Amino acid sequence: MKITISINGKREQREIEPSRTLLELVREDFGLTGTKAYCHSGICGACTVLLDGAAVSSCSLLAAQADGADVTTIEGLAAGTTLHPIQQAFIDHFGFQCGYCTPGMVLLTKALLDEVPEPTREEIVRYMGGNICRCTGYAGILASVEAAAKALSGEIPAGET
Amino acid sequence: MPTLEAAEKVTGATRYVGDLLVPNMAHAKVLRSPLPHARVLSIDAAEARAAPGVVCVLTRDEVRAAGIEPVYGFVYRDAPLVALDKVRYQGDIVAVVVAEDAAAAEAAAELIEVDYEELPAVMDVEAALADGAPLVHESFSPIAPELRPIEGTNVCHRAHIARGDVEAGFREAYRVYEDTFTAPPVQHCALDLHACIASIEDGAITVWTNCQSPFPLQRELQRIFKMDARVIVPYVGGGFGSKSRDRLECVVTAAAQLAGRPVRLVLTQEETFQTFIRPAYHGTIKTGVRADGTIVARHVRFTIDVGGYAISGARSANNTLKVATGPYRIPNVLVECDAVYTNKPPSAPYRGLPTTQHTMAYETQLDRIARDLGIDPVELRMRNLVVDGDVHITGDLLRSTHAKECLEAAAAGIDWGTPSTPPETPSKLRGKGVSCTIKYTLTPPTRMSENGAAISLGEDGIFEVRIGTVNIGQGSDTTMAQFAADGLGVGLERIRVVHSDTALVPVDSSTTASRSTYHMGNAVLDAASKLTAETLAVASHLLERDAGDLALGPDGVEAPDGPTLAYDELVRRSGGPLSALGECVVGGTYTAPDGTEYPIASTFWSFASAAAEVEVDTDTGEVRVLRMGAASNVGKAVNPDSVRTQLEGGLGMELGPTLFERLVWDEGGQLLTAALMDYPLPTMETSPTYRPEIVEHPFEGGPFGAKGMGEIGSVITPAAVLNAVYDATGVMFHEVPLLPHKVLEALEAL
Repeated sequence: MKITISINGKREQREIEPSRTLLELVREDFGLTGTKAYCHSGICGACTVLLDGAAVSSCSLLAAQADGADVTTIEGLAAGTTLHPIQQAFIDHFGFQCGYCTPGMVLLTKALLDEVPEPTREEIVRYMGGNICRCTGYAGILASVEAAAKALSGEIPAGET
Repeated sequence: MPTLEAAEKVTGATRYVGDLLVPNMAHAKVLRSPLPHARVLSIDAAEARAAPGVVCVLTRDEVRAAGIEPVYGFVYRDAPLVALDKVRYQGDIVAVVVAEDAAAAEAAAELIEVDYEELPAVMDVEAALADGAPLVHESFSPIAPELRPIEGTNVCHRAHIARGDVEAGFREAYRVYEDTFTAPPVQHCALDLHACIASIEDGAITVWTNCQSPFPLQRELQRIFKMDARVIVPYVGGGFGSKSRDRLECVVTAAAQLAGRPVRLVLTQEETFQTFIRPAYHGTIKTGVRADGTIVARHVRFTIDVGGYAISGARSANNTLKVATGPYRIPNVLVECDAVYTNKPPSAPYRGLPTTQHTMAYETQLDRIARDLGIDPVELRMRNLVVDGDVHITGDLLRSTHAKECLEAAAAGIDWGTPSTPPETPSKLRGKGVSCTIKYTLTPPTRMSENGAAISLGEDGIFEVRIGTVNIGQGSDTTMAQFAADGLGVGLERIRVVHSDTALVPVDSSTTASRSTYHMGNAVLDAASKLTAETLAVASHLLERDAGDLALGPDGVEAPDGPTLAYDELVRRSGGPLSALGECVVGGTYTAPDGTEYPIASTFWSFASAAAEVEVDTDTGEVRVLRMGAASNVGKAVNPDSVRTQLEGGLGMELGPTLFERLVWDEGGQLLTAALMDYPLPTMETSPTYRPEIVEHPFEGGPFGAKGMGEIGSVITPAAVLNAVYDATGVMFHEVPLLPHKVLEALEAL
């Protein structure tokens, strides 16, 4: 079947098998390997991408379900060489170690802050609670999300999170 | 400071093994045993070989025909590439199907017909040690000299360590306490799935893998295939010990040899649970104390369930004999262990295992003793903790201990001595607990330790640091760049790090056991010192100045009153890159005051403490960890941010096995908890707040006084949590995880 999607702002057409997952489409057809896989069952969140702005597990969606949609992967977040304030916050507040869960965590943060620009700690924990990180113990991720919210709401200048 | 690769990681640019492609590569799927223990009578793969897209199928027949060594292992050569006569756990590798894509390989694997004769299985240590128990292996094949199997049993290694006279110690004790401890197996759940690509070209093997021990793997490949091998390890997305030993690389290389083209294998999450697990631990601990709480004798007996193959598990058991009695001055000690084969998946180290379980055993017992004797738990520890100059159970003279300072700092992190804030409802109870530990690092002769680093100054004027350390998330490239920059006296922007490619870097034993900062750090400093001398000698010749008048500056070699000779120009004029090889020499013996010579059992000893405050819901049995303090004497924190995040990460990770993680098999040997659906992991919702504190007392011999700390956070977690639950409820649990129904049962039994 033929699908049309906008991936990181670029309109693309692809002929795909109906059984192809969005994860396979992103990683294998578009070579965007920043999107990771672990559980392949929609639990761990490593494969999180944004589908029309909402965070979804790309392993658990068919590529066909993204037909006509805007898909943002981790490769689409920075503006050229300038990091997105969320990415900068994850660096400044040690929101990762091995980095494998980071694309999913950063995109989940983007979805959260688009929806709730000034989340409480409880709202962050509830929203981010689904994505698994094995390295940090989550303290650095929580601090990164809080700092990113402040940077994006203009409370502190971007790049000084 | 953030790691050098931080920007790469937040933009998704970092390539892990699963992201790599090799031209013309085919894809593999593994056919695994459905039974925990069976004789393999016949394998018929004809239909699979004829299936669409299939390139080849590797079974025992192809392995035998290839004339390669069919079994492998680091300390026990007991693991077949694919099953030979028997399968020894559910998930054991029976065949490998290679096809044009993974889906075709998976479909074809289902067409292979295997005829098994089911054998009685031993699913735990108790069954494996019973009289007349079925033998997992009919004969033993240790290749490490210190391993002592017991013929005719499932015990693949029995060991003990002793000091003083433990029975005499118990006789003089005011009271003696004895407890039994249990911790079930868990899995590491490193998100970067086990993966590798193997290629054979022009009679040489290249393997891309996320293994934590590239050089031992290289040697194993060379032994098995009798050809040169190169192992390349890119960034690794966590391992925690699950990737410390190879398990797939030799198998996939055999498949690549048969296929005549590169072969890629990426495991599923469920398959990682059939590859390496943290073993079950059972132990008893008997401790004698004086009325004032002074410990006079301790006897620890424990078993480790190494699973179907003792690839490295037997040695893990051996190593932890050294720390089973804890960071305490005890004149009379005896530790005994059995490492036992069962029909579970092979065991692997797990971030400090089994120091974690030993710490759980001795620290929870200590709180029971404290309450019995009416002594504050922190005070009881203060009376017994080791200090510099004490002699450890192994005979080692302890230095850079500062265990008491660690305990004070950790306890302060949860306001020890101040009662908990009352919970919102009376059905919830709060309490506080602490723990202390001592941990070893891998040290010869128990384990060969080879530690090299190279630095070269190239025509681009950049110092390239080449290290075998695997960058697994711990920030090793950054730490080593810091060492190199400091050693050379240049800025970090002049340093480039090349890691873990056996064709490009000097030999290094492994990235395990919290060993890299110390060993690789020393090797890097040694290389920096040698390269500095060489660079100054060359500059001295070019500038016609005495080398003693020259120094390495930020951009070139500087003379006190003359111009700077830029590094790139220096290399061009000297006729080529300059290079130096550094090493870290370890081992040797220690002579005790009585003249006895002891081999140094650990190059350094790590000390740390944790403190936890918990809330127990007496209606549901749920335990929540509210906050944790922790402190470790790291000698010198090279990158304090990395040290703190490593401590936090260790604490947070081990909360899973403490509160809810465990692997469960049914009576037929089938794993019931193979997927995340049935195996919950810690999330942000289950995580406490942390107060990680760094204690710094330089360790003589360490690079800038540093020693390792990568595993210490997880080691101290269960004991602190169990003690906090004891404080809250009066129930001391002798096992983890603290599942709500078990907590409720125990509370009702009060």
